[in-house]
Amino acid sequence: MNRQRSPRGLSAAGIVIAVAVLSLLVTPSVRDGVALAILMMLTVTSALILLPSELRRARPVLTRAATSTMVVSVTLVATFFFSSTTDFNLATGAAMAVTLVGLSFLTGVSGQVSIGNGAFMGVGAFTMAIWSNHHATTPIAVTLLLSVVAGALVGFLLGLPATRLRGPYLAGMTLAFAVAFPAILTYFNSWTGGDGGLQLPNAANPPHWLNALFVHGTSSLTSSTLWLTDITIVAAGVAFFFMANLFSSRVGRAMRLVRDNEVAAELVGVNLNRTRVLAFVISSAYAALGGALWTFLNNSVTPATYSFALSIVILSVIVIGGIGTIPGALIGGLVYAYSTNVINWITNQTGLNPQGNFASQLNGIIFGGLLIVTMMLAPRGVAGVYYTLRRQRASKRGDVASPPKETYAEA
Amino acid sequence: MDVFLTSRIASDVLGGLTNGVIYGLVALSLVLVWRSTGILNFAQGAMPMLATYVGMVTFGHYFGYWICVVIAVLVGFLIGAGTERVLVRPLYGKPEINPVVVMVGFLTVLEAVAAAIWSSTPRSLTTPFSPIDFHLSGKPFALSAFSLYQIITAVVVMVAVAVLFRFTNLGLQLRASALAPEVSRLLGVRVNRMLTLGWTLSTGVGTITAILVASNFFTGLTPQVMDGIFAFGFIAAAVGGLDSPVGSIVAGIVMGIILQFVGDYVNSNAIILVALAILIVSLMARPNGVFSPVKTRRV
Repeated sequence: MNRQRSPRGLSAAGIVIAVAVLSLLVTPSVRDGVALAILMMLTVTSALILLPSELRRARPVLTRAATSTMVVSVTLVATFFFSSTTDFNLATGAAMAVTLVGLSFLTGVSGQVSIGNGAFMGVGAFTMAIWSNHHATTPIAVTLLLSVVAGALVGFLLGLPATRLRGPYLAGMTLAFAVAFPAILTYFNSWTGGDGGLQLPNAANPPHWLNALFVHGTSSLTSSTLWLTDITIVAAGVAFFFMANLFSSRVGRAMRLVRDNEVAAELVGVNLNRTRVLAFVISSAYAALGGALWTFLNNSVTPATYSFALSIVILSVIVIGGIGTIPGALIGGLVYAYSTNVINWITNQTGLNPQGNFASQLNGIIFGGLLIVTMMLAPRGVAGVYYTLRRQRASKRGDVASPPKETYAEA
Repeated sequence: MDVFLTSRIASDVLGGLTNGVIYGLVALSLVLVWRSTGILNFAQGAMPMLATYVGMVTFGHYFGYWICVVIAVLVGFLIGAGTERVLVRPLYGKPEINPVVVMVGFLTVLEAVAAAIWSSTPRSLTTPFSPIDFHLSGKPFALSAFSLYQIITAVVVMVAVAVLFRFTNLGLQLRASALAPEVSRLLGVRVNRMLTLGWTLSTGVGTITAILVASNFFTGLTPQVMDGIFAFGFIAAAVGGLDSPVGSIVAGIVMGIILQFVGDYVNSNAIILVALAILIVSLMARPNGVFSPVKTRRV
């Protein structure tokens, strides 16, 4: 314990200074109440993070809440200073990360994989748009929840056969669903608006309670799209908090047992079928939340977004980030948000014709290639490599090795 | 008789049969890989697509249709064997999501590479067969020279695979190494070679399927041409049973006919919805496939 005190003290001082500086910078652009709220959030969470490790171990839920609050509030404060492009990228990545953490959960704890999460995102995205068009006054949180419910229902329907199946049938079925999704949207085109998609009715109007919190006119929050970004990030934070708890909950442990040893799971009274379907339903619901957040962020939805290609990209970024882990989903979300920029950069650097065939296919070649290479060399992605390195370092120092994070994919 | 043959029902059955043999062929190629290596090959549509581009488009500048077909199938064999050797072999014994992910990645790469080289614009292959329906006493009925060519080719391929597996020594070795690899190895079967051969055959069957699909005047050849067909083929294989070649072929043909009726009487966008519904219902009723014997799990 003694050895750890000094870096802990240093980081505590650093965080406190950072909080002070940030709140000084933020205060002029928002009302005092908001600045105070942000400051309190940051202080409370930094205090919680710095709690002695015994207490953190004893109160895991509290620690997770603190961690999510801290990450969210730091990101929120940061969005005040970033350009609107960066804000939009971050929010897009955050919504994608919600989808990814659902898929990570499905694979990590139940050993199944879905190739159709792009379509489940589409279910959420279109539910959000359709509901908003019919009931424009519904609060955002309620509409988001409705989209999640819709995603869960579709997931339940498709997941039912999964109770009786073994092997990669579920993957095949979700692939069929993803391929079918555009045709399904067209089939219901009186609802989904056909190829043009749907616009949200009350676009770019922040709700009243948000307006009341911030000074009119002075802050960029109400005049620009910053509030969309911030609500998306908060929603993602809440989703991650629940998922972090689920990973280590009783249900999560039961699921891992089902994955590793069905017979043992049955012997200790785990209902195999219910557990498998539940994992799939949760994953679909999370994907739907991600899609609904995208609709919310863009104020519109188009069917072209939710093509089969999106499902493959989702699989690629979560595998690169680290499938079966929570940090992997965050990394994957960032990779997704910046992939277009990186690919454009590569196109410029290599002097390819941006309109050429090759440049337009670079996306698929890179993502597909990374998918293969990652699975072959480091099946747990970036997060897995980090865990392995940390464990190696810990064992070199002679510490008690921290238990390895469980993931399904093995080296 | 003529009245019946030109009726709506008969034309749906014939049209469905024409599509159904394609689904059956895709299902058969999936079953070949599944039985030999226990992997559901998600690139089963894309690998033949690439072979078709190489054979039919690149060599199409120099040779006629039939020579190109032979070249394409040979290229398909090579792609299948190479994939098994390089990509799939390291995956044996890994958790089942690893091959799924790798093959999805391979699918993405293949489609992107094909689009990068040949662009995404559909290409029509010139076939020696007319796609215009035959006429009976002045009325068209849903069979053309091309659809006859498609059905006959498919049946020939299916029979050839059946003969190979049932009546040849090689077929016996293939079945043995799929069923009991250790015992087969002890008895002197080169199991690894048989696994490669399973993939080779499967991609060959797939290439013939892709050529048939791409030769169709109404679809043409695009990098994504096999995506939808693969989905139907997978549904057929899952409904019929991934273990059962005959079951999956029958399921493919029956599904083709049912879906043709759905497309004709309901709406063409309802086709895939109905296919998904068939998949869900049949998997709930018979998880191992309609034609597979019910398996018991031993504890």
